[in-house]
Amino acid sequence: MDLFQLEMKVNGEAVSVPVNPGLRLLDVLRDVLHLSGTKEGCGEGECGACSVIIDGELVDSCLVLAPQAHNREIITIEGISADGELDTLQSAFLEAGAVQCGYCTPGMILAAKVLLSKNPKPGRQDIARGIAGNLCRCTGYAKIIKAVELAAAGLQQKEGEAGV
Amino acid sequence: MKKHGYGIGSMWYGIGSTAATNPSGAFVDFLDDGTAIVLSGCAEIGQGSTTVLAQIAAETLGVDLEDVAVITADTGVTPDAGPSSASRQTYISGNAVRLAAEKAREQVVAKAAELLDLDPVDIRLRHGQVWYEAEPTGRTIKDIIAQCRGEGILTLGHGSFNPVTTNLDPATGQGTPYATYAFATQIAEVDVDTETGIVEVKKIVAAHDVGTAVNPQNVEGQIEGGCSMGIGYALLEEVAVKDGKIQNPGLSSYLIPTALDMPEIFPVIVEATEPSGPYGAKGVGEPALVPTAAAIANAVADALGIRLYDLPLTPERVVAEIKALDSLKPE
Repeated sequence: MDLFQLEMKVNGEAVSVPVNPGLRLLDVLRDVLHLSGTKEGCGEGECGACSVIIDGELVDSCLVLAPQAHNREIITIEGISADGELDTLQSAFLEAGAVQCGYCTPGMILAAKVLLSKNPKPGRQDIARGIAGNLCRCTGYAKIIKAVELAAAGLQQKEGEAGV
Repeated sequence: MKKHGYGIGSMWYGIGSTAATNPSGAFVDFLDDGTAIVLSGCAEIGQGSTTVLAQIAAETLGVDLEDVAVITADTGVTPDAGPSSASRQTYISGNAVRLAAEKAREQVVAKAAELLDLDPVDIRLRHGQVWYEAEPTGRTIKDIIAQCRGEGILTLGHGSFNPVTTNLDPATGQGTPYATYAFATQIAEVDVDTETGIVEVKKIVAAHDVGTAVNPQNVEGQIEGGCSMGIGYALLEEVAVKDGKIQNPGLSSYLIPTALDMPEIFPVIVEATEPSGPYGAKGVGEPALVPTAAAIANAVADALGIRLYDLPLTPERVVAEIKALDSLKPE
């Protein structure tokens, strides 16, 4: 089979790799680029474990064929922290105790990231809706929702301090 | 019309394997720099056991939590701790780690007593320091361990714990299947839509006797997670089997609760100290799930005046029961 020269931006860096066009974006991220923070859960777009951000939108990477990611900008869980500093959301998840087995966590954090980018002051119901496509079997979501609330408050405070 | 109801569910649950030996072992190495390594076969599956074992070791050794490294679930190096099941690891492996840490600690305490010319029973280890009753002695644990090493003494400990149980009498079913039990009561508040049959859980209050809560945040997480599984059990989850094949093997056909299905949960931690537990702890993993569906089903019965006997309480089942009751009413 002819390989497809996939060009995209991943976590701010330009990537150009020849891939089998039948691969899913999830496979390219994990197996070709070795970004294993993105998890495969159900493989059928139901659980959200494989969530990544494509051009600002939350997408299940198991439902995206590699060529569909061509010329797109992808953010994975590896891309949200910089210089060893945790992202506000990551710190909030730690503080709230929102991580148990951890399998849903990368997708949850990216879902929350997209939510906060569109709605910086979400209410409890907005948060529940924002993460409703990401299943968690073990936390009961309570501490995840709490973490997103904490992060939202933290970001507000940061913006206030920066005088924005 | 929406009908409102409250229900209660209570449970007890045995901690550990039923009427069977289920020991756990641990090794603790108190290192030259005053930090410690704990080896335990206990598999961390997200319930927080590694954190809890580190806390128990830190408490026993008198060092900070950050100074304890826990190596778990590696058959190459860790002793058998039995399975992460039966809500047993905090109680059983926690005891094994405590016993192992006490042995490592005893050697440090004995050497400190000798060097300071004090009675070992008056020596305390806290935050890496050696204390005489309520006063710091100015000596660090690291100093004492260095002295031990100089004399060729390693500060190691091993421990194992097997809960005291008996086989059950085959004729009477009597015996002691568990060394301790967890207890819980949950209360659910629901709205039931009598036209659609949809049950909405509005609130759950979940009170759990866990013995000492070694890590209260983790205990809350276990309770909240158990409640979500219980909501799934009560309202959504049913394995459909036909001719020996599961008909709904995926998350598109076997639905589990999402964040939108979750009510506010109010965990209440009841700390009734268990004398045989490590620092009084028992377990919480499975108990968190046990009473939830009963509380919800009772709340639905309270709301409708109809008792449903089959879970899950799907909209179809709820509507069918309401219709069946209506058909019995005189015109």
